[in-house]
Amino acid sequence: MTKGAQIAVGACAIGLLLSWYAYTNSADATFRYYQTLEELQSVQSGIGGEALRVHGYVANASIERDVAGKQVRFRVQNDPPHAGGPTGSTLAVVYLSLETPDLFKDGAEVVVEGRLERRGAEMLLIADNVMAKCPSKFEAEATTL
Amino acid sequence: MPELGIYSLRFALVVAVFGIGVGVYAGRSGQHQWTRVAERSMFTVLAFVSVAMFALFYSLATNNFGLAYVSQHSARTMPLPYRLAALWGGQAGSLLLWLWLLCVYGAAAVWTNRKSSPVLMPWVIATLLLNALFFLVLTNFITDPFERLPPTHVFSDGNGLNPLLQHPMMTIHPVMLYTGFVGFAVPFAFGLAAMITGQLDTAWFRITRRWTLFAWSILGVGLLLGGRWAYEVLGWGGYWAWDPVENAALMPWLAATAYLHSVMVQEKRDMLKTWNLILIGLTYTLCLFGTFLTRSGVVQSVHSFTNSGWFGFVFLAYVAAIAALFFGTLIYRRKELVSPNRLESMVSREAGFLYNNWAFMALLMVVFWGTMLPVFSETFTGWFGDAPQRTTVGPKFFNTMAGPIALFLLFLTGVGPLIAWRRATAASLRKQFLRPATVGLVSGVILTAIFWGSVSIWTLACWTLSAFVVTTVTQEYWSAIHARVTLRGESVFRAFAELMRKNQRRYGGYIVHLGIVLLLVGVSGAAFNQEVLENVKPGESIHLHDYRFHYLTADAIPAQHYGGAQARVALYRGDTPLALMKPEKRMYWLEQQPTSIPAIYSTLQEDLYLVLSAVEADGSATFKIYRNPLVSWIWLGGLVYIIGSILIMWPHTKREPRPA
Repeated sequence: MTKGAQIAVGACAIGLLLSWYAYTNSADATFRYYQTLEELQSVQSGIGGEALRVHGYVANASIERDVAGKQVRFRVQNDPPHAGGPTGSTLAVVYLSLETPDLFKDGAEVVVEGRLERRGAEMLLIADNVMAKCPSKFEAEATTL
Repeated sequence: MPELGIYSLRFALVVAVFGIGVGVYAGRSGQHQWTRVAERSMFTVLAFVSVAMFALFYSLATNNFGLAYVSQHSARTMPLPYRLAALWGGQAGSLLLWLWLLCVYGAAAVWTNRKSSPVLMPWVIATLLLNALFFLVLTNFITDPFERLPPTHVFSDGNGLNPLLQHPMMTIHPVMLYTGFVGFAVPFAFGLAAMITGQLDTAWFRITRRWTLFAWSILGVGLLLGGRWAYEVLGWGGYWAWDPVENAALMPWLAATAYLHSVMVQEKRDMLKTWNLILIGLTYTLCLFGTFLTRSGVVQSVHSFTNSGWFGFVFLAYVAAIAALFFGTLIYRRKELVSPNRLESMVSREAGFLYNNWAFMALLMVVFWGTMLPVFSETFTGWFGDAPQRTTVGPKFFNTMAGPIALFLLFLTGVGPLIAWRRATAASLRKQFLRPATVGLVSGVILTAIFWGSVSIWTLACWTLSAFVVTTVTQEYWSAIHARVTLRGESVFRAFAELMRKNQRRYGGYIVHLGIVLLLVGVSGAAFNQEVLENVKPGESIHLHDYRFHYLTADAIPAQHYGGAQARVALYRGDTPLALMKPEKRMYWLEQQPTSIPAIYSTLQEDLYLVLSAVEADGSATFKIYRNPLVSWIWLGGLVYIIGSILIMWPHTKREPRPA
């Protein structure tokens, strides 16, 4: 076999091995589908308890810290509350921990990971992870008045 | 003063263009006086960029909020070191830092080679200046650090650095990372010069060996510092999250590690020449790509979320162009890079290095794939599917995939240094590996007996292989020192020093390996991590393992540019008081941002990591406590890594072989 062929075979073998290993080990918890709230709401019928990520903003005055129940309940909306537009529809979230990130507050930009459940007429996101976005180091923000 | 900075950058741009032209001309014509001119262009660019750096530092130090950059990233309330560190707190300033470091490296490379490598140097200078030119174009026209705010927008104070960045690490970690990244430009330039001039022997990487080692070790330190910083400040009890920005810095390190090992084969056996050029090309391209990834917002990360649109596009085009230049030249020279020697056996040191290269490439592929999957999946489903769908992977993917590959590399770390060149006979294998294999096997059996069922097979494999590697290193040192002590009557210390002097790369390298072993063992401790989240009133205690956390009080932090609460928690083990832990929840007034500062009690055995989650409305406090076994071993391993790197790089007066 020529050297080129050897390398090709070797690379393919390693690639296949890795892919097989990845496939058999990537339980549904490993792959997350990242969606905005808008996308999520338009595709709701397809969501059946699979792991997903949703991006949104914490609705004003929606945070409830349930110290006894060790959970935090809040709602996310599509647009930032401080943008001044209408709230639009919101998604209820239950985060099963009291340990919210430092930047978590009204209007914070968040990414919530968890599973959707139907509670009565509403969808509820049972979250196992809430990330609040760090203000970017390399922001292109202009200092507008 | 800012005007001085602006004009300096403009002049630097012009001189850089000139220098590239002169360098290329000198390279093609072979006229050395033009090489001199190119050298001086390099120094001139450095001078101008240094003035620009000084101008920006000055503006930050003197609170010149008329500059947009100063206004966005600095504030009066910040202590001076942070005001200065704000230089690399944002896009434009960090690009200027990159540029400056590139000029420093370039000037140093030129100076140390001013009397040697006349054929390579013109092209080296041209390559380095070409890279500098890109950053000069960026800082002159696209992200200007000296941009002025319109007079109506100037305030008397700035926005300040993100509170998470107001930590001593901010003064070190970014600089270390950049010093590491940019350092690879030098071997890259030499590799490209070697290919352009056809001087494809070992000279190009022997000259740049110390540069590469330096850049590689600094990058490694930068990565460790980043992990340590995250551990100390972010309050999630971890040190590595496989975040895209972290991965962006790790990937060049992986390629560089492969490169450092692979060049040994070219030196000894004139093989893997194509591999070595690919690896250094890949390393530098990944440095640039990593820089691009961090800034473009193309992949969402906890570090950066802004999508700056076309800026990212420009940067990516540059990365692609540099890669095309390097790898295009490589393809052009491929026939001349064929080795006269063949691989004689799959069980040999050459083969070991080849497996090493493959393993690092596999690891690189895993990290790259996982990092870029959101982009690939969105593009792919956009082209071929109904609608673009972004898929992302979490840390579990990376841990699952990287773990076994890392363990294979650990195995090679033990096998590689001992196995014979060309072909390892059964006799040589037995002689070299009997002891380490036995120790490994016995440790494996004992550890399995103790821990089977409570840890995964990967953790057991990690510990077993670690025992194996430590034995190989000990054996190597012991047999060499023992020989010197008995044959030459030297003391142990003298023998050790002589070993270092005669073969510093080998014996220093072993120490670096030991550092990596310690680090991997430290990481494996995560298998035993425990955590608890509890809400307690003053006087109550939280129990975790055999520790007791007795909550005393929470007090307001004395007012400064931040406020907040500090809890006082007494730590006991059984009845023995161990420490008074004081986690904080700070609120930075200017930025209106809270941060958690954990209290960490570290021993060799484990870390107790206490976070004040919240002081609740009813006066109780919610604490999150992590028990992280063996984490100290990671930082210890890092220290050993640094010591080993220093030993490898330590200058010795050696008789250098005459250049060919």
